[in-house]
Amino acid sequence: MATHTCKVLLSLGRMKSPAFTPHSPLGRVTYATALSTNRPNSNKGFTDGGNRGGPRKKRISWVRESGEPRTEKMAVDQDWTAVYPAWAPFRHGSVPLPVRMGKPMRGGVPPEKKGNLELIKIPNFLHLTPAAIKKHCDALKPFCTEWPSALESDAVCDELFPIKLKSSDYVHAGTSLRNPSARIVHLKVKLSSLNLDDHARKKMIKLLGDRYCKQTDTINITTDSCPLKQQNNDYAMYLLTVLYHESWKTEAWEAEKTVADMEEYCWEDSPSQKNILDTFVGMKVVEEGDAEAVREVVLGRPEVQEYRDSVTRLKNEGESESTMLQYREAVRKLFNL
Amino acid sequence: MKSICRSFTEEPDSLFQTVSVLVKGHDRAVLDSYEFFVTLAAKELGVTLHRVFEPPKNIERLTLLKSIHIFKKHRVQYEMRTHFRRIELSHVTGSTARVYLEYIQRNLPEGVAMEVSKTAMEKIPEHILEPMWKDQPTDKNSNSKNATLFTFCFGILDHMMK
Repeated sequence: MATHTCKVLLSLGRMKSPAFTPHSPLGRVTYATALSTNRPNSNKGFTDGGNRGGPRKKRISWVRESGEPRTEKMAVDQDWTAVYPAWAPFRHGSVPLPVRMGKPMRGGVPPEKKGNLELIKIPNFLHLTPAAIKKHCDALKPFCTEWPSALESDAVCDELFPIKLKSSDYVHAGTSLRNPSARIVHLKVKLSSLNLDDHARKKMIKLLGDRYCKQTDTINITTDSCPLKQQNNDYAMYLLTVLYHESWKTEAWEAEKTVADMEEYCWEDSPSQKNILDTFVGMKVVEEGDAEAVREVVLGRPEVQEYRDSVTRLKNEGESESTMLQYREAVRKLFNL
Repeated sequence: MKSICRSFTEEPDSLFQTVSVLVKGHDRAVLDSYEFFVTLAAKELGVTLHRVFEPPKNIERLTLLKSIHIFKKHRVQYEMRTHFRRIELSHVTGSTARVYLEYIQRNLPEGVAMEVSKTAMEKIPEHILEPMWKDQPTDKNSNSKNATLFTFCFGILDHMMK
């Protein structure tokens, strides 16, 4: 299209009559004939093709020859942060590196950087050279705060700040910037850091159920029921508060706790204690007579105490070499074997 | 030198025990360059780097029919590779984290996604230090569950709004 218009303009310049009307007073049609003619060997470019069209040597005025690239004039010790202060696409004339990119042709090398689309397509880090990063960080440094020196190790942190709230943020491109997983909040506290007595601790563990890990003694509460992160945060803290206060209360129905509900093995009122009493009290009552006093004496004996400790340890900690050995020694001492 | 305008607030700075940044992309070279940038920025700003490593890449493969109609024996296979890089920072204050993360995220290259997991440390709040039943008389504890729950909720709200 551009070639047609330029030919039209040229021909108008040569024509004497300025009017561009279909019916001229002379009866001659004064259309710009350049529109219809299309030189059979016209070049699409702006060269004059070796003067084939006659004495026309004039070049198109607005086309300039490109000068030498800026890279020739760049000093070796220039300030690169001024060349690429922010992200910009790769410009072959601004980057003084002999970069080649692309698949090499047969027997050839990868194409050069001039007019290379591959170099423009890939993400470039020309604006993030170490010098630029240092400049940016120097400007950002006043807005940073230092970590308190008293909180050096993780142990000190856990002691002073036992509650850990974990949440995630997401950065990605897409039709929507929001990510529904960003609202999830995980709360982690060590049970030992809360002020609880024995009954409260046991009740808390029962209330938590799966959310309590016995090996690490941590409470893990995950909240995702609210749409916003701050709401889930508040909800997690609310749950912790409720659990804490509820576990200190003693309800009337808690008196109905059976042996099956107990968390740990308790030797008092257990079949093991009954067996011991049956074995030894019977013998002593025959000699001395008073059942209650004899019972106390039997239970107070050091061998019985040791037997009690070994059985409790065996039931609570499970079977291992040390527990079995302890049980064996206690039984031996009890029956003087 | 231009004077820096800074505002000071009375609220205490939050403390993050760990800040974990996971970057995902299809091009390993881009993640290499980004890792260099992130580590240098952390060093300059004084943020302690706990660990920087590369989790194994994830390849998702599809096998589709080459032709739109019939030719079941001729298929074409595509794959999508996702490379990862994890940068773990430790002991970062709230202000530093905000500054560092904003700097990192503004310079995130095209085609790279990021996931940031922050673990904030907090003290035990005042309303969990002591059980509230110590102040109130014991007759409120014994009765029906509904009554206790009702009074309890109000009690909690009072404590939380203090």
